[in-house]
Amino acid sequence: MASIAFKNVTKRFGDTTAVDNVSFEIADNEFFCFFGPPLSGKSTLLRLLLGLEVPDSGEIYIDGKAVTTLQASQRNIAMVFQNLALFPHMTALDNIRFPLVERKMSETHIRQKVEDVSAKLHIEHILHKLPAHLSGGERQRVAIARALVRDPVAYLMDDPISALDARLREETRVELKRIQRDAGKTLVYVTHDQEEAMSIADRMAILENGKIRQIGTPIDIYDRPVSKYVAGMLGSPAINFFQLDDTQASGIRLAGEGLIQLDAREVPANAVQVGLRPENLAIRPDGGAGDVATARISSVEPLGGFTVVTVAPQQSKSQTVYRALLRGQHQMEVGTEVTLGYQPDQLISFDQNGLAIG
Amino acid sequence: MQRTFPFEIFRYGMILLALFIAMIPVAWMISMAFKPIPEWSALGDDLTWWPRQPTLDNFRFIFGQSTNDLIVELEKTAGRPILASLLASVIGTLIAMVAGTSAAYGLSRFNSGKNLPLALIQLRLFPPLAVMIPVMIMWTFLNLIDTWWGLALIYGIVTLPFSFWLMKTYFDEMPREIEEAALVEGCTRFRVFTRITLPMMAGPLASSALLVFILNWSDYLIALMLTTREWQTIPVYMASLSSSMTGQLYGAKAALGLIAAVPPVILGIAIQRHLVRGLTFGALKQ
Repeated sequence: MASIAFKNVTKRFGDTTAVDNVSFEIADNEFFCFFGPPLSGKSTLLRLLLGLEVPDSGEIYIDGKAVTTLQASQRNIAMVFQNLALFPHMTALDNIRFPLVERKMSETHIRQKVEDVSAKLHIEHILHKLPAHLSGGERQRVAIARALVRDPVAYLMDDPISALDARLREETRVELKRIQRDAGKTLVYVTHDQEEAMSIADRMAILENGKIRQIGTPIDIYDRPVSKYVAGMLGSPAINFFQLDDTQASGIRLAGEGLIQLDAREVPANAVQVGLRPENLAIRPDGGAGDVATARISSVEPLGGFTVVTVAPQQSKSQTVYRALLRGQHQMEVGTEVTLGYQPDQLISFDQNGLAIG
Repeated sequence: MQRTFPFEIFRYGMILLALFIAMIPVAWMISMAFKPIPEWSALGDDLTWWPRQPTLDNFRFIFGQSTNDLIVELEKTAGRPILASLLASVIGTLIAMVAGTSAAYGLSRFNSGKNLPLALIQLRLFPPLAVMIPVMIMWTFLNLIDTWWGLALIYGIVTLPFSFWLMKTYFDEMPREIEEAALVEGCTRFRVFTRITLPMMAGPLASSALLVFILNWSDYLIALMLTTREWQTIPVYMASLSSSMTGQLYGAKAALGLIAAVPPVILGIAIQRHLVRGLTFGALKQ
């Protein structure tokens, strides 16, 4: 059991600031996810926590004890690397045994532990093989088994399942979540897949350029993003942004496009943009009243349970398109004129700096 | 690609042709090693590919058991030069491999000595003779002339750039995460090196060592300049094989050449399985 805390941690590589004055706390037994685009500092955060990098400034705490200058081998954290980093000259079994052998555990203890973890991950039948003779999914499991076999204070995983195909990924992440809950350990997870982050994390942090932009539960961040950047990071299809321009007594029109006329009371005075999640953008085939603008369907993606409809505003000279996520199946023709609608309480307003209002 | 029968014939034909051209000198050497004097010397009337009267005389001759009165007895047999070549090449290879591998690992992992690669390659920019003359003078002062250890030392030095460059490439290719995984799993730096890095590097080490050994083994120039009598190596000794009556002793040279080919061939076969296997195959995601 272990809580983890970073206090004002900064790490630079040459001129690049990989981690920029970051502070956060991860609770004991938490499934915590770092989510951000490539080079946003996710992996560096893990490496700092592991002790593979030393911060330029700031302190790192595990269970309240400062570990900032402690060697990697003394921190007792288990890690699954992004590229798995199996030892190619050892069989799967020797790979899994390695952490226990290095810690000079007794042979009976090692055998018991390896048996347990192989059963849990269903890899008993491949233990005699070299990594070269394993499939991608099997290597994955061996790497996870090597991390799970001992009793660390926390598990760290750096995008470990990105190489798997979609179905195996879904299975594995459910399993990871279960394993973490069973083990009752802190698990810090890095991913660039927003769906993965949202589906498994108890709490998550959104990163941008080495800074943490928001920390919270996935749903909290999804519903109440602090900025346009964060709002854009979560959700698929991505959130729609509407530019507001001329303010009128009766309401606010959307920029250049005459798309949706908003009631002024719905939008704060300093808002320059509003965001609307695709599932909250309504599309009606019949022509509507004057305050609801029309658009033309530019593509329809039937996904079975859902339909993604992309519309382009008619008057717009820009290439902007908006996407709506409709429940169920819909027969719609590309090129059809439709009207758009929304519920006022579903709008998220942003000021000129891209920060959320309210 | 569709492999048709004519294509296959063409493919193997090309391979055989290349092999044939490459093997002509070797075949000639082997043939000559087993020919009696009249067949390889000017005494013979024509030259044939196949020895008409195969004999081991040439081998007996270089080991001091001359049976033919056409040639005066050798003042020195091949035993000592073979020993000299083995000692100097093996020890020289060890020196180059240990120093080169350590330097390559340090540079690849800890980025220390950034200018070392260029500094090492400088040795190779000069004509060998220009480098060797000062060495010869230095070795004279150090009493290293005509000693196998003096030769081993210079072999270690001149082949160091090769072992360094080769090993550095391999170390650079090895993903750092594999070593980091071992660190995280409780190893010290030294344990990581002995438990993970060295075993993973067995293949590259073996193939680099083979190359370095062959470079040392086939050296003529350095040995010619740094040895006089006692510790002549095989190539130097081979050049000296001549007689006043028959001129160059081609049969004896060929026999010695055949013997000289044995160690590299044995080493090559011994490490063959390492030569083809990829370095980190299977360690990473596909």
